[in-house]
Amino acid sequence: MRGFCRLLVTQARRDRWVLPIWIVGIAVLGLAVGAAVASQFGEEAQRAAIIVLASANPAVLFLRGLPDGLSVGAVVFFQGFAFTAVLAGLMSTFLVVRHTRADEELGRSELVGATPIGRAVPLMATLTLALLANVVLAAAVSGGYILGGLPVEGSLVAGASVGSAGLVFAGVAAILAQALPSGRGANGAAGAAVGVAYLVRGIGDALGTPSSDLTRVTPAALSWFSPIGWGQATRAFTEPTLLPLVLSLTVAVALGGAALVIRTRRDLDASLFPERAGRSRARLGGRSVLGLAWRLQRTALIAWAIGGAVLGAIAGGLAPVVAQALADNASLSQLIARLVPGTAADTVDIFTAAILGIAGILAAAAGVQAVLRLRTEETEGRAELLLATPTGRLRWLFSTGSVAAISVLVVCIATGFATGTAIATTTGDAADLGRLTGAALAHAPAAIVIVALTAVLFGALPRATIALGWGLLVLALVLGQFGELLQLPEWLQSVSPFYWSSALPVEQLDVAAAVILVAIALAGAVGAALALRRRDLVS
Amino acid sequence: MSPAPAPLVETTSLVKRFGRATALEGLDLSVAEGEVHGFLGPNGAGKSTTIRVLLGLIRATSGSAQVFGLDPWRDSVRIHRDIAYVPGDVSLWPGLTGGEAIDLLTFLRGGADAALCATLIDEFEFDPRKKARTYSKGNRQKVALIAAFARPARLYILDEPSSGLDPVMEAVFRRQIERVRADGATVLLSSHILSEVEELCDRVTIIRSGVAVESGTLGDLRHLSRTSIRVAGLDASAVAAMAGVNDVRTVADALEFEVDAEAVPAVLAALSTHPVTGLRVAPASLESLFLRHYSEAK
Repeated sequence: MRGFCRLLVTQARRDRWVLPIWIVGIAVLGLAVGAAVASQFGEEAQRAAIIVLASANPAVLFLRGLPDGLSVGAVVFFQGFAFTAVLAGLMSTFLVVRHTRADEELGRSELVGATPIGRAVPLMATLTLALLANVVLAAAVSGGYILGGLPVEGSLVAGASVGSAGLVFAGVAAILAQALPSGRGANGAAGAAVGVAYLVRGIGDALGTPSSDLTRVTPAALSWFSPIGWGQATRAFTEPTLLPLVLSLTVAVALGGAALVIRTRRDLDASLFPERAGRSRARLGGRSVLGLAWRLQRTALIAWAIGGAVLGAIAGGLAPVVAQALADNASLSQLIARLVPGTAADTVDIFTAAILGIAGILAAAAGVQAVLRLRTEETEGRAELLLATPTGRLRWLFSTGSVAAISVLVVCIATGFATGTAIATTTGDAADLGRLTGAALAHAPAAIVIVALTAVLFGALPRATIALGWGLLVLALVLGQFGELLQLPEWLQSVSPFYWSSALPVEQLDVAAAVILVAIALAGAVGAALALRRRDLVS
Repeated sequence: MSPAPAPLVETTSLVKRFGRATALEGLDLSVAEGEVHGFLGPNGAGKSTTIRVLLGLIRATSGSAQVFGLDPWRDSVRIHRDIAYVPGDVSLWPGLTGGEAIDLLTFLRGGADAALCATLIDEFEFDPRKKARTYSKGNRQKVALIAAFARPARLYILDEPSSGLDPVMEAVFRRQIERVRADGATVLLSSHILSEVEELCDRVTIIRSGVAVESGTLGDLRHLSRTSIRVAGLDASAVAAMAGVNDVRTVADALEFEVDAEAVPAVLAALSTHPVTGLRVAPASLESLFLRHYSEAK
C-alpha cells in the first residue's frame, strides 16, 4: 500500500505541468463556448434558428453532435461536447501510455519492478491517477459552465459526461499498452480509438431522426457503440440523467480490470506482437539520412493517411444523406437561404469543404510529428551518433523536412481521394474525384507552414519543441473550429495559416495566398536551418 | 632536433559553460598522431563534454579546440570523414535491426570494408538480425564498435567503449585497438578500466572538474606518485624521522609506508644503514594513482 501511494505521488509529480495544462485548457474552451453561445444566441428565437438548421443537416450532426432543445445550456452542450470528449480522451490515453508501455520500453518499469511491490501496482497507480485527473477535469468543466451562468445540475452532469468519456479511454489505453510493444504504437492505437469513437458517434448522429419541430435529434443505434455517444445521451441540459454514465463507468472498470489481470500474468516487455528477426543488411534505401528519415516516419505516415482516408470516405458516403435531407424538405432549403444569406452554394459542397478542412489539420499533424522526431532523435542520443559521421546538420534537417512535406501531401491526397471516390460513386460523376483531391491539396500550403514553424522551434527552442509544436497545431485547430463561434477578432483568426487557405469547393482557389503561404514556409525552413547551425546539441 | 609534429587533437584553455554551470574550466589536451591516448577522470569531470566539443556537436564557450588542425565547430563535416566515434551511451533506432544500423552508420562515413565488417560481426559474436529495441547495453555497444572499426579512420574517439562488454568481448576490443594502432591510427580512449588503460595507452590525461590535472606517459605519472615500501627489522620511530616518508603503519611484523618520488633515493640510502631483515619496494599502483586524483578534494 505504501508502495502504491509512493508511485502515485511520483507519477502525479511527473505530470504536474502536463495535466493542469490539459485540464485548464479543456475547461477554458468549454467556458468560452458557453460565453459565446450566451452572447451570440441570447434570444431563444436565435437559438431556435440555429438548432432547426442543425437538426435538418446531417453534416452538422456528424461534425458537432446532437441538438437537444433550445436552452442556452443545450446549445452549448451540442456545440462543444463531442470535441471536449475527444480532448478528454486524448489527455487520458497519453497519460496512461506515458506511465505504462512507454516506461516499460525505456527500462524504467524494470527498475520499479525490482522493488518489493506487486507486478500490477504501477499500473494500478496509473489508473488511479487517470481517475483523479478525470474527476478534476469533470469538476473543472462543470465549474466553467456554472461560472458561465448555466444551470448547476446540467453543468454537473455535463462535466461528469466529459470525465466519464476520459475514463473509458484511459481503460482502452491501458489495454492497448499491454498489447503493443512500444509507447509510440500504444499512443497511436489509443489515439486512433478516440478518433474511431468520434466517427462512430458522428455516423450514428448523422443518421439520427429529427423530432417533428426540429429542436432535437434522436441518434441512430450506432451512436450507442461510442463512449462519446454515451456522454451525449445524458442530455445534460434538457432532461439530465446519469444513467448512460453507468455504462461508461462499467466499461472503464472492466477495461482497467482486464489490463490489471493481463499485467499480472504477462512477462515484462511481452506484447502481442513479439519481435521477429529482421534483415541483417540494410537495403539501399536504409543507407542514407533521407532513407532513415523515411523509414522512421513510414508507419506513422501510413496510419495518418488511413485515418484521413477513413474520415473522407465516411464523410463522402454521408453526402447523399445530406442532399436527401434537403431535397425532402423544401421549406428547409428556404429556411437555410433565409438564415444564411448568400449561401447559394450546394450544401453538399459546404459539408465537403468542412471535411477537407479537417484533412488539412490531419496533414499538418502528420508533418509536425515527422519534424518532432528530430527532437526525439536528439534527446535519445541518436542524433549524436548520426552527426558524428560526415553528415551535416542541414542534410539531417532537410531530409526529415522533406519527409514531413511529403507526409502533408500524402495525407491531403489520401483524404481528398477517399472523399472524392465516395462522392463520385454516389453522384456517378468521375470528375468529383479529381476535383476533390485537388480541393484537399489546397490546404497543403497552410499545413506546411505549421510544419516549417515547428522546424523553427526545433532550431531555436529545442527543449520546448515538442510542447510548442503540438501547441501550434491545437491553436490552429481551435481558431479554425471555434474562431467564428467565439467571435474572435479577425486579426486573431488570421494568425492561423488555415485562415488563408481556400475552402474549395465552396471558395475559389486564392493562388496568391497559397504562394505566400509556401513562401512563408520556405522562409521558415531557412530560419530553422540558421538556428540549428548555431546551437549546441542538447539532450 | 626537428620540431615536434603538430598534435592531431589539441585544446587550449577550453571552456564550456551550460548556463551557470561550468563543465570545462580551461582544459588543455594534446593527442599526438599515432598514439593511443587515455582520457581519464571521475564521473562528471567533463570527458564527454570535451569529446562533444571535439566532434563539433557543441560549441566551446572560449578557448580553442583543433582536430586535424581544423576548427571542429566550423569544419565538423570535414573532420568527421576521418573520425570513427563510439558514444558512451549508445542509443539505436528501435525499429532498425543491428545490421541495418551498422550499414547506415558505415555508409554515412563512406562505406564499410565488407570483409572487415563480416569479420568484426563474427568476432564480436553479434546477431545483426535482431531489432535494436531488443538489444542489451553490451549489444548496443557492439553495434557502435563494429560500425567504428569496419572502416579505417585516422582518429578513433571512443567514450568508455568497453562498458557493458564481457571479458571475452573486451579482449576482442583490445585486439582491434592494437590493430588500428599498428595501422598508424590515433585513438582517444576515455575509460575507467585501469587494466585496459595500462595495457593500451601510450599517454594518459587525467581531468577533474573540467581541468587537466595530469598528463604524460604512465611512467611519468608513476614517477610523480609515491613508492610503497615494506621493511622488516626496523623501529617505527626511525622510519618516521626520515624526510619524505608518509603514512607509516605496522603490518604483521613489518612496517609499511609511502615515500614521495623525489625522496626515494635518500630513504633507500638511509635504510641501508639499518639492520634491515626484509625489504620490498613497489611502484605506485595505478589504482592508488587514480584514487588519489579522483578523490582529492577540490
